[in-house]
Amino acid sequence: MHMKKIRAAKLWIYLVLSLCGLISVLPMIYMISTSLKPNGALYEYPPHFFPNKNNLTIENYIYIFQQQKFYLNFINSLVVSLATIALAAVISTALAFCIARFRFPGRKMLFGLVIATMIIPGTALIVPQFELASFLHVTNKLWGLIPFYVAWVIPFSTFMIKGFIENIPRDFDEAVYIDGGNVFTVFRSIAVPLSGPAIASVSIFNFLTAWEEYPWALTVINDNVKRTLPIAISGFFGEHQFTQWGYVFAMSVASLIPVLIIFICFQKYFVRGLQTGGIKG
Amino acid sequence: MEAKSFKNRLQIFLLLLPGIFMFAVFTIYPIGKLLFMSFFQSGYGVSLKDAFAGFQNYKMVLSDQTFRVSFDNTLLYTLVTVPAQMAIGLLVAVLINELPCFQVGFRVIYYLPVITSWVIVSLVFKYIFNTEGMLNYFLSQVIHVTGGNIAWLDSRWGGLTVAMILGTWKGVGWNMVVFLAALQNVPKALYESAAIDGCGPVHKFFYITLPSIKSTTLFALVMLTIGGFNVFTSIKMITDGKPMHQTETVLTWMYYKAFNEGQFGYAAALSFIVAVVLVFLAVLQFKAMKNRDEGE
Amino acid sequence: MKNQWAKKILAFTLSAVLMLTALTACSGQTPENSPSSEDQQGNQNTSQNNAPKETITLNFWHHYSAQSPENETLTKVLIPKFEQENPGYKINATSYEWAKLHDKILVSANANTLPDVARLDIAWVPEFQKLNILVPLDKEMSDFSPYSSSLLANAMSTAEIGGNYYALALNTNTKILFYNKAALEQAGVSIPKTMDEFAAAAKKLSGKNSNGQQVWGCTEPALAGWNVLPYIWSMGGEITNNDYTKASGYLNGEKTVKAVQMLADLYKNKALIGFNSGDIPMTDGFGTGRYAMLLEGPWKIAELKGAYPDFSYGTADVPAGEGGSHSVLGGEDIGMFSSANKEGAWKFMKFMTSEFAQEEMAKCGLIPVNKEALESATVKDASYAPFLDAIKTAKARPPVAKWTEIDNQLTTAMTSIIKEGADAQKTLDQLASQVDELLK
Repeated sequence: MHMKKIRAAKLWIYLVLSLCGLISVLPMIYMISTSLKPNGALYEYPPHFFPNKNNLTIENYIYIFQQQKFYLNFINSLVVSLATIALAAVISTALAFCIARFRFPGRKMLFGLVIATMIIPGTALIVPQFELASFLHVTNKLWGLIPFYVAWVIPFSTFMIKGFIENIPRDFDEAVYIDGGNVFTVFRSIAVPLSGPAIASVSIFNFLTAWEEYPWALTVINDNVKRTLPIAISGFFGEHQFTQWGYVFAMSVASLIPVLIIFICFQKYFVRGLQTGGIKG
Repeated sequence: MEAKSFKNRLQIFLLLLPGIFMFAVFTIYPIGKLLFMSFFQSGYGVSLKDAFAGFQNYKMVLSDQTFRVSFDNTLLYTLVTVPAQMAIGLLVAVLINELPCFQVGFRVIYYLPVITSWVIVSLVFKYIFNTEGMLNYFLSQVIHVTGGNIAWLDSRWGGLTVAMILGTWKGVGWNMVVFLAALQNVPKALYESAAIDGCGPVHKFFYITLPSIKSTTLFALVMLTIGGFNVFTSIKMITDGKPMHQTETVLTWMYYKAFNEGQFGYAAALSFIVAVVLVFLAVLQFKAMKNRDEGE
Repeated sequence: MKNQWAKKILAFTLSAVLMLTALTACSGQTPENSPSSEDQQGNQNTSQNNAPKETITLNFWHHYSAQSPENETLTKVLIPKFEQENPGYKINATSYEWAKLHDKILVSANANTLPDVARLDIAWVPEFQKLNILVPLDKEMSDFSPYSSSLLANAMSTAEIGGNYYALALNTNTKILFYNKAALEQAGVSIPKTMDEFAAAAKKLSGKNSNGQQVWGCTEPALAGWNVLPYIWSMGGEITNNDYTKASGYLNGEKTVKAVQMLADLYKNKALIGFNSGDIPMTDGFGTGRYAMLLEGPWKIAELKGAYPDFSYGTADVPAGEGGSHSVLGGEDIGMFSSANKEGAWKFMKFMTSEFAQEEMAKCGLIPVNKEALESATVKDASYAPFLDAIKTAKARPPVAKWTEIDNQLTTAMTSIIKEGADAQKTLDQLASQVDELLK
């Protein structure tokens, strides 16, 4: 009797989760199905959620994949995102490690700064940052994106990793010092490896931030060949209010794939990295 | 400790250096510059010299009708989407946490909107909520709830509603993951002893789960409030502030003022006001977080 | 287990860092390397034909839309031809959406990152001139006068400010009436010749189609000057005096109010739509029979041919009102910015306005301004012949530096009258006094 009740409850849970999940993925499915319709069928009546058999086409994908620009935009996005996560991982782990482990003058201020800059939205600084980018002559360059993205994600990354490092027992450090190690050795052999899950989960966030960033890239990048994917996608909204939705969605689907792969590969570390109580349990 | 030797001090300094450098150049300097710019009347062009304007820009922002509209919109967006995503995200996390299998599958499904970029999901929503779009067809012709097509994107409240639905829909996954992480840290023993006492699932949720994830809840609250004020891309893509700047948010209005009209001084003052409001809100929330932590 | 994970992370981070350094190296080298390699080529060239020593890259910004035949012609025909004719020059063309190009130029002026050459909407030229970013061509180019005489004088006048020329005319256009043949026939409506007929036809063409969907008599994709001015002018209204110094008495004049009122009335009667964010885009709405009439430029012909090849439509003059039939004059100039490589930029500008380039672009629906190109068979047989007539009576938007700002305020006022039903006279009175300030 009791077991039956539990089973029924579980069934309900599956049902509710599946329904909510359906809402969660429905827009995506609609996007994919629209990308498989010819451009002319987008205002057909009655509208079809899935393309008709005789309407099904991959012409939008063919068009997108024939554009050399698409590959350049794709590579740009990838380069910018990878560079951002690599730099941010190194810099924020170092910061987090020092703040978590040592008392040095200005430590409190530095951490206060981390928190404070986490609060101010990146876009709010777009005007002075643009002036800075022009001053540094990095406008219209991928280098105009990377350091700014890194600066945007450092506070959150540092905050998360610091929480994780604080939970690593200090005995581990002491053991290294006793063996004749120094700060660098502790950083390399304790802090970096043991905060791995935190670094990984933060890096996924950072990757997404850089991969999908729109306002800054829109402002700084000019050339077609230097644009990142979000700018390229929004660039389909051409003159004269004429939008080829099929192309827009085909490109969107294509740009979604790498993120999806990365997420599915790393998702099991994702939740773990967020459990700041990690080691102490 | 060992850290006191010169070599170790130097090493600490070297580790800190890149971070401090990035902060100084790309964050602190721009914040200073922002404050500076907000006191100058700067405009486009080589011919126009910046002139000191005192509090003129701030006065202009605060007396600007559209700024008020955009501020109200942003506040409404934050007040609606933050609790909505947190509630749904928590519910989903609790339910997923109960499951013996398929956890990963559900996690991926719910996380899909989070990993899809704002540009893409905004376009998808714009397409779905189009006056002639799928949703209206579904509502009026398939389930016959509405008499005719609703012009979702054509009014202030309609446009904001779409943006808020989008914001909530996209944010649920993030909350789910954050809460799932917190839930898995709640000691199982607590639930077991509650079960022995004969507590039902609702009781368990309110008396065990909620108190145990308090700090995560506050963390999510702070992050999402910041995110709510940061809303930009969805509005830019879906309505672009139309009609008549009625759906602008603080940042889209700032962007418009800066890059369409060239009023950098105005934009800087606006950004600064937003930053101050956010710092104020966050300090409040952090204070609350600290107090609760100490209370435990 | 934990260690393995740690190693993975480390390896990943390291490889990412390595990749990054590799990239730095690449991006650091490209600009240094490529000029030097081309430098050698350049040197060889020098000995042969006195070409410039290094390859000079000219940045050209335009708003030929990204997927258009114009852009195709530009990148596949014109630029290769220019580069072949002018060794030592490379053109780096960048396309923007129309409104974005305007903003990008303003932003770049501030950041000192302007391109060498840009295709400019004629309405922007006064604004950019005022910012001192455009080069006065007649002062700086010795062969300006002989060359500019090969272009239409009235088109060139769009680039003239205070007696100096700040650009070359590139192409002109205007809007005419497009109508859905079948819809007009079915409703028994004849092609509207006057504004009264137009309003009546628009109402009659509106309603529900056989699917029960709303159909609108006419559409405007926005409510900016470009959209509302043909109605205002044709109905005898004005927005400023002839010297562009005063709007009061014109922008809020009786006839202007009447024209705006007509549009508001059409919107109220579900006969006009298209400027809302959720509306069907113009081309799709027209091609699928949801919009029956619209005023549009020559590019629409190519667009419709591409997207709705079987759709049958006709064209006619903008319906005449008390003021006659006046469309709005559109078109682009090509100008160079003060930071440009002037010699190269001037070469490219002359190339883009040459008979060859203009004839090629004419094939995609751009109306030439080069006198010889206008005489060519391509132009004479082109589908845009009706536009050539409309240009003769079309009027230009006020060539004032603050036009963009005025246009923004105009759009807001028009939206509140037409969409929100605000009082036309009151709103325009207010707008007129605002515009008076901007015209000072």
